[in-house]
This record gives sequence, structure tokens and C-alpha cells, in this order.
Amino acid sequence: MARWQLTISATLLLALGCSGNADAAPVRGGQMIYARAWDSLYLDPVLNDANVDIWVLSNLYDTLLEPSADGKSVTPGLATAYELSPDRLTMALALRPGIRFADGTPVLASDVKFSLDRARDPKAGQWNFMLAAIDNVTAAAPDRVEIRLKHPDPTLPAALATFNTGIMPERAFMAEPGATLDDKAESFARHPIGAGPFRLAEWHRNLSMVLERNPYYWAPGEDGKPLPYLDTLRFEIVPDDATRILKLQGGEVDGAEFIPLARAAELAGDPDLQMRLFPASEVTYLTFMTRPTLKDGKPNPLTDPRVRQALNYALDKDAFIHVVHFGNGKPMTSFMPSTTPLAVAEAPLYPFDPARAKMLLAEAGFAKGFDLSVMIRAGSAEDIAVASVAQQMWGEVGVRLSLEQLDNATMTARYRAGDFQIRTGTWTNDIADPSEITAYFAYSPNIESQHSGFKDPVIDADFEASQKETDPDKRAALYREIQTRFDEAAPIAFLFESPYAVALRKPVTGFDQIPLGNNIFAATYIGD
Amino acid sequence: MTVDTVDRRPNRLQPPLIFGTAILTLMLITALLPQFVAPYDPTRFDYHATLAPPSLAHLFGTDMYGRDILSRILWATRIDLQIAVFSTVGPVIVGTLIGTLVGYYGGFADIVLNRLVDVVVTFPFLVLVIGIIAILGPGLTNLYIAIGLVDWVFFARLARAEILVQRRLDYAHAARGLGYGPARIIFRHLLPNAIGPIITYWMTDMALAILLGSSLGYLGLGAQPPLAEWGALIADGKNFMATAWWITVFPGIAIVVAGFGFSLAGDGVADLLRRRE
Amino acid sequence: MGYWRFVLRRLLQSAPTFALITVLIFLLVRLLPGDPASAMLGDRATDEAVARINASLGTDLPIASQFLRFLGRLLSGDLGQSQALHVPVTELIGERMPVTLLLAAYAMVLATLISIPLAFLMALYRDRPLDIALRGAFQLGLSMPTFYLGLLFLTVLGAHLRIFPVGGLGRGPVGILYHLFLPALTLALGLAAVITRSLRAAILEVLQADYIDFARAKGLSERVVLGRHVLRNALISTVTLFGINLGQLIGGAVITETVFSLPGVGRLLIDAIFGRDYPVIEGLTMCFAVLVSIIFIVTDLFQAWLDPRVYR
Repeated sequence: MARWQLTISATLLLALGCSGNADAAPVRGGQMIYARAWDSLYLDPVLNDANVDIWVLSNLYDTLLEPSADGKSVTPGLATAYELSPDRLTMALALRPGIRFADGTPVLASDVKFSLDRARDPKAGQWNFMLAAIDNVTAAAPDRVEIRLKHPDPTLPAALATFNTGIMPERAFMAEPGATLDDKAESFARHPIGAGPFRLAEWHRNLSMVLERNPYYWAPGEDGKPLPYLDTLRFEIVPDDATRILKLQGGEVDGAEFIPLARAAELAGDPDLQMRLFPASEVTYLTFMTRPTLKDGKPNPLTDPRVRQALNYALDKDAFIHVVHFGNGKPMTSFMPSTTPLAVAEAPLYPFDPARAKMLLAEAGFAKGFDLSVMIRAGSAEDIAVASVAQQMWGEVGVRLSLEQLDNATMTARYRAGDFQIRTGTWTNDIADPSEITAYFAYSPNIESQHSGFKDPVIDADFEASQKETDPDKRAALYREIQTRFDEAAPIAFLFESPYAVALRKPVTGFDQIPLGNNIFAATYIGD
Repeated sequence: MTVDTVDRRPNRLQPPLIFGTAILTLMLITALLPQFVAPYDPTRFDYHATLAPPSLAHLFGTDMYGRDILSRILWATRIDLQIAVFSTVGPVIVGTLIGTLVGYYGGFADIVLNRLVDVVVTFPFLVLVIGIIAILGPGLTNLYIAIGLVDWVFFARLARAEILVQRRLDYAHAARGLGYGPARIIFRHLLPNAIGPIITYWMTDMALAILLGSSLGYLGLGAQPPLAEWGALIADGKNFMATAWWITVFPGIAIVVAGFGFSLAGDGVADLLRRRE
Repeated sequence: MGYWRFVLRRLLQSAPTFALITVLIFLLVRLLPGDPASAMLGDRATDEAVARINASLGTDLPIASQFLRFLGRLLSGDLGQSQALHVPVTELIGERMPVTLLLAAYAMVLATLISIPLAFLMALYRDRPLDIALRGAFQLGLSMPTFYLGLLFLTVLGAHLRIFPVGGLGRGPVGILYHLFLPALTLALGLAAVITRSLRAAILEVLQADYIDFARAKGLSERVVLGRHVLRNALISTVTLFGINLGQLIGGAVITETVFSLPGVGRLLIDAIFGRDYPVIEGLTMCFAVLVSIIFIVTDLFQAWLDPRVYR
């Protein structure tokens, strides 16, 4: 029988302590102004589509469990403990006593059932796949929830710590105008109520968003009183990178996200600022189309694994990191970010070896090289840099790459239609589990391995088995095999992992951005 | 205050025209033969000399890939001159002709033109350009088409307004009184008098076309990398304004010099035409 | 009376323009590659998710029935709902349009204040050092990309000297005018360069015209000659230029709004185009059309008022 009684104090303090100033007592009150590059679009846990929502939702909506600071496990949230039945088909969760939503109403098991049922509805949004194993949810008692599964699911704890399972007040939600749940969500998301550390006070789209302290939040701070420390948290939307930095340097904001890594060294030298590089789950790569022919019927050289390997060997990853990210990053060790649970992170893949690249190309019958084209996002400095460097390095082994800048929607449309040769890609995990990235990158039935046409029956079978395998060691072995086979077949060019770059004014303490990207302001305060 | 603007000096070349033409000629030579002027291959990377400040080896410094900025600016002259000329020459001819005819004849044609002008002008320019480029694909030729489809309207409107004024003036009445045909009146009398502001605006418009090409390059919809284009060069260096000013400043100067050349030449030509009257 | 008939005729003429624009924008938006659902859901979406969203938006219907729906909605005054932001389009435009309009108007006022006196100075001192220096200065303003000029202002006057705020929208009339000064100036300089140049040329031309010699010969003072005859005639071409530059001004506002982090319609439009947010693109385009038409009409009327020959 598997039973984990998780205690708050140890893990939570670990989570909060990582950026905290251990000596000084936290300062309560005040306002923090944080400059964001983009505004949120839709503050609904279930129906949102983008990181601009996902990364701030946890400040408004609390989940039953929470991702740990390193992104690899879970800690207690609204539930203090969970218990699995011996057949691993039922999970029982005990709700924390006395918890309340930001409007003061209690969080009941019925709210949990309502929230989970909505989140797992296959017709609602695009995140329900993470809860596909759930058969039904029951409110066994006001403070006890039981989740019954169709089959054992090792990802369930991580799923219950993910943004889309944020708990919402059923009564307030249902009181919204609208005929359907989706209509009600549209209205609710404009003045959301959750059980997170903050609640929405004001929102002027694309200008500013003001969150205020939720007085009913449950987690205690270092001083024993409930978090958060801040009275108000103000997001200002400053889309231009240079302007965002100017505002920080001018003292108009306390922190700024998405600092271009080109400027990290300069800001680190500023005595008024702290330049933070948070470990992320972000990988940058190139997707190869691996079908035998291109959309226009011409033969595709990338269908030969030797060619794809050669292209990987021809890339000098350190030069990439130096030129594109100014030395901030590391070569990929698997298709998964190294912060992903069960990621194989032993040695960089495909070390730079142009001689070997030429040999492999000759073996494949391309001693004289060939022409390739890559789709990149129009106006993205990083995409242009990545593609320009690849263009130059592949040129050295005789492969001629041309660049094609497309606006996002056009690029997505051609990607989905398989009408491309190579495209740039960036990935961040949303869930502390390897299943999400594997479903997209390697498991062909989902989206044909990133629409590349890559298909390996062993990987597909391993993945399906891993989704039901609750023995940690066996699951790890399945994932090892998936990664080895994928990395060997190289349907992508493995480039680099990069950190989240955030700059803060010196007195700001206790801010964290976890590898999944979530901005954690619960324990943030502005010190002296 | 004395007014001494009624310049009746004999017809001779003025310093602005000489200076402007000189700049444009130099640009043209650079655009035709960049390989003889540029010290380096504009697309060559040098990982050992990234973001190098100006020095004897690299007079204008290098960018984040170690490419020589001077060479890139010189090669970009070709692209930017193409944008200036190819995207405006069609509009200036078509627009002036249409505007002139409509201004002279008025009536139904005037109504149609005005509605057409309204449609093109009220349509947000960027929607149209981004739409056209999204449909046709990015690249320089499609950039010319997209700009040209919109730009002619400005000339048509300007020409119409000028002709409306000119045809009311005494000399036009006189010409009609003498029994001249419409073609002769329009092309021998009205147009030469109305052409000054149009040419002045054309020169400005070429400079604007370079800026527009740059903005679209900035959005990624203009010249495709590794082709060098002044606006794209500035966009490349946007994140380095504080640490590597040379990436943005020198292409900026290039745009200013080119714009200056066009405007001096434009003013000079306008002056010349005015004095010929 | 001729003038009012001209006004009425001018208003009636706008109707077909709107009809044409409505059809054009509807078609253009749907000719763009990519569909709203993929643009919204991004690279990770499954085919089922995309199909479901397209069905709920009605973007999977034949284009004719989409157009009928669109017209039906439009006639009842409903511009629809933003697909990405889940807010009615009218509400979005109501929030954002004032910012852009204020910015454009502010820029026009600044441009006028800059260009009229300078154009006179330059024309009067033609080809002397003052004229040449001013032309050089304007050329500089005209030739600088908007985002570069904006960043320069922000860096020097904002972050370093701290005379002006670094972007954003202030509160209260004074605060807003204070916050919008740098972005308006950024926009105004480019516009002022164009206007000063044409105005200078127009003034020179008018000064050489016979009726000015005549006016002088009549013994009118230079002030009257300049004020009444020269200014009036020069204004005609300036007003025309204002009219044709306004569209570009709003276009230029896109980049200015981004650099100065202002929540105007320029940014909304770009986001909507890239996100294939059809109702927002359609709503904004039509809104622009109405606005620009109004400004054209006003321009024409003003022109007719300055120079009655236009409507006769």
C-alpha cells in the first residue's frame, strides 16, 4: 500500500527558502510592481491556451497539490495528504481544514468535484488529456474527495498540481450569466475568485493588472502569520524588451521578466539590481520533417536517420549558446529538459564533429550536400539567430539552408499540414512529469511526433505502458528506452536548454520562478 | 523684415541639387558594385570577434555573429536603393497620371477615384501589407507589390489637388482660349506646373519607403536573412543599444545620409522646375 | 448654398466606401493562411481540439454563410467577440481607441506647432545657413526609424535625466498629457518633417505667384501679405497632407505604442492579425474606416472653405 503523509513545513520552507534572505525577517505590506512582456488573455484554468495565463494562474487559483521548487515532485496544497488504494485505482484526498476562497466562502469537496469534472471534460479546452484516466470524482465528505481511475495513472499527483486543476467556487461560478459552462467561464474569468494567495482587484487589458492580498490564504509565512507578505502586486505590461529594462533601471518597477540574455551580464553589473537566471524546463531545438517526400512531392533527404545525425554532429552547440544566449545555457542531454522527472541527463548529445557529419552525409549519398529550408517566426530575434548560426554551420558541411520568416499563424498552419522541412521550436513543460513532452515529441498517435511523421513502434508501446506503470523503477526504465531510441533516431536537432531571465531590484526577496514557469509571489516581499 | 524670396536668378545648378545628386550617385555606385567597396564578406561569421567595437580591422565594429558592420551597410545599400526605387516608381507614374486626369476632367471619374482613394487609405496600411505578404509569402518582390498597391493613392490625391488649383489659374484659361487640345493643356501646361510638389513628395516617399521596408524588415516581412538591409541591421542591434552602440548607430547614419540625399535632390529639382517657368 | 450641398454630397459618397471596405476586409481576413483555432491553440493542439474550436467559432462554415452571419451581426450593431481575449470587440475598441486617437491628435498639434513657424522661417531665409541647418535637422528626424527615436527619447529624457516617465499611461488630464508627450513627440517629428518640407515649398511657390506681387504693389504690409495670402494658400496643401498622412500616423502608432507600452488600437490590431482574431480585425478595420472617412470629409470641407473653387 502506498501512503505518503506529506508535511508542510519541510518542503514548503525549502521551496520558499531558495531565494530568500535567511537572516532578515520578512517585511509585510507594500506593493510590488512587476513588468511583464505580455498581458494575460484568459484567466480560466481550464480554457486558457497560453503561458501568459498559465504562469500567473497559481497566484489566483490554488491546486490540491503544488509543484515543488525543483519541478520534479509535488508538495501539499489545498489537500494535506493523499492516499492510494492497493489496486491503485482510487485516490482519496483530505482537504486542509478551514480553507476558504478569496470571497470568504469555504472550499468544499463539492467545489473540488465541480472543478475536476470541468477540467477533465474532453470537450473543454486543450488540457483535459492530463486527467484522461479519471473515471469519476466524488465528494465523500465536505473535506474528503475520492477520485476513481479507469486504470492506474502515475501522473495523477503531478496533474493535481497543474494549473488546469485549479479549484474554483462552484456556487460563484454557476451564478455567472450565460447558458453554457463556457459562457459562464468567460464572465467568471474577468473577475475570478480562487483560493490562491492573491485575488484580482483591477485589470486594464494590456496596461496593468492589480492583484491584492487574499486575506483567507492558508499557507503561513516565516513569521507564522498567513502569506502573502505583499498587500498588492501590480503587473505592468511593457512589451518592448528595451523599455522594460529602462523602466527597471529608472526605478519605476521592482522586477521585469523576459530579460534578453544579451543584456544579462550588463544588468548583473548594475549595483541596484539582481539578475536572476532561474533553472527552466525550456529547450530550443529544430524539428525535422522525416517523411520520405515533401509536401510538393520531392524526395526528402531528412528521411534518412544518418542525414539527421550528420546535421546534429555538424552543429557546434557551445557556439550556439555563445552567440544566441551569450553563454547562458547548456547543450541538451535528451529531448526532455534536464529538470523533467525521469530525464536522462548524462552527457550532451551529438558532440560537435564536422568530420563525422561529412562521413555520415557521404554514406547517405549526399557527399555534395543538398538544399534545405527552415521556417522561423517572423521578427523573432532568437529564431533568426538560431537559424543564421545553423545556416553557417551546415554550410561548412555542404548543406545549404535558406530561411523563411513566417508569421505565427501561417507557420502553425504549415506545421500542422506537414508542409515544411525544418522549423524552429521552443518547449517548456506544463506538468512535472515526462508524459506531456513525450506525447508531443515522440509518441506518434498524438500529433505525429510534432507533425514530423516520425514513428517508432517501440517508443509508442513503451509510452502507452508507462502511462499505466506505477512502479517508479519500471517507469524510469521505460522512459530511458524511449529517450535512447529517440535521441538515436534524431527527428530533431538538439540545441540547448536555457534559463528564465528575470531582473529584480536589490530589495526584492523571495520571488521564485519554478522550472514549469510559474511565477510565485506568495512569499515575495520588498526588504529594506 | 525683408523678403527676398522672389528669386529670378538665371537657371543654374544650385548647391542642394549638386550635393544631393552626389550622394545619390555614390549610393548607386555602391549598390552596383558593393564587392569592390566592402572590406569583408557581409555574411561571414567570426566567433572570435563578436560584438567588437570599431577598430582598424573593423572600422564600424562587428555584430553578435562577428560580421563586419561596414561591409553589411555597404551591401545593404543595394537592397535599400531597390526598395526606394522599385516600390515607388510605379505608384508615382500611375498615381500622377490618374490624379491629373481626374483633376482635369472631374465628373464621374473624380467620384470613382475619390471612393477608391478612400477605400485604400481608410484600409489600415499594415493590415493590407501584412495580408498581402502573408498570402504571397515574404520577400522583396512581394514587398514592392504590397507597398505599390497602397502608395499610388497618395500621388493620385496630391496630383488631383494640384491640378484642381492649376486649371483655375489664368494661364490655363488662356491656353483653352487659344483652342489647345486637352492633351496639350494637361501635359504641356498643367502637369509641368503641378509636378514640383509631386517630385518633392516622391523624393520624400523614397526615403519613407526605405523606412517602411525597414519596419517590415523589423517585423520579419521584408528582406530575408542573411541579406543585409539597413532597418534589419538596426533591428539586429536593438538589444545592444547600451552595450554595442555601433550596431545601430552606423546603419542609422546610413539611412539619414540616404534620406538627406533624396531630399536635397528633391528640393533641387523642385527649384529647377520652378525657375524654368 | 453651394457649400452645404457639397457637405451633404460628400457624406453620401462615403456609403459605398464602407460597403466595399466591409466586403474587402471580410474576404482578406479569410484569405490569410492559417485558421483562428490553430493560431489560438498554438503548436501543441490536436486536430480534434482545433476542429472543436473552429466549429464553436463558426469558422468551419462555407464562406457565404459566414458572411451572412457576419452581416446579420453587423446590422444589429454587434461586432462580435474577440476569440483570443473573450471580450466583446466593441468594449475592446472603446477601451483602446481613445488612447490612439489622443496620441494621434497630440502628435498633430505638436507637428503643427513645430512646422508652421519653422516653414515660414525656412522659406524666408531660403538657402541661407538657418534654412540649411533646419532642413538637416528635419531630415534627421524623418530618417530615424520610429522605434530608434522613441528608445533614444526614453533612454535620455526618461531613464537618465528622469524628466519624463518611461512609458505607460498616466492618470488625470495632466498626467496623461505628461505621459504621452514623448510618444506624441516621436510621432510628431516624422510628420513635422514631411509637412514642413511641403509647406516650405508651397510658401515659396505662393510668394512667387503674381497675385502676391500684386498685393505688395497694392501697398499691403508684409504681415498682411504673409498672413492672409501666403498662409491661407499654404494651408491648403498642409491640410491635404494631414489628411493623407493620418492613416500612416495611425500605422506609425503601432510601433510607438509598443515602444512606450501604451494600450492603443495599433497593438491590438497587430496582435489580432497575428492571432487571426477575425472579429477584432474586422471591427477595428471598420472603425478605422469610419474615422479616416470622417477626417477626410473634414479635410475636404476645410479645403473647400479655404479655397471655394474646390466645390464649385
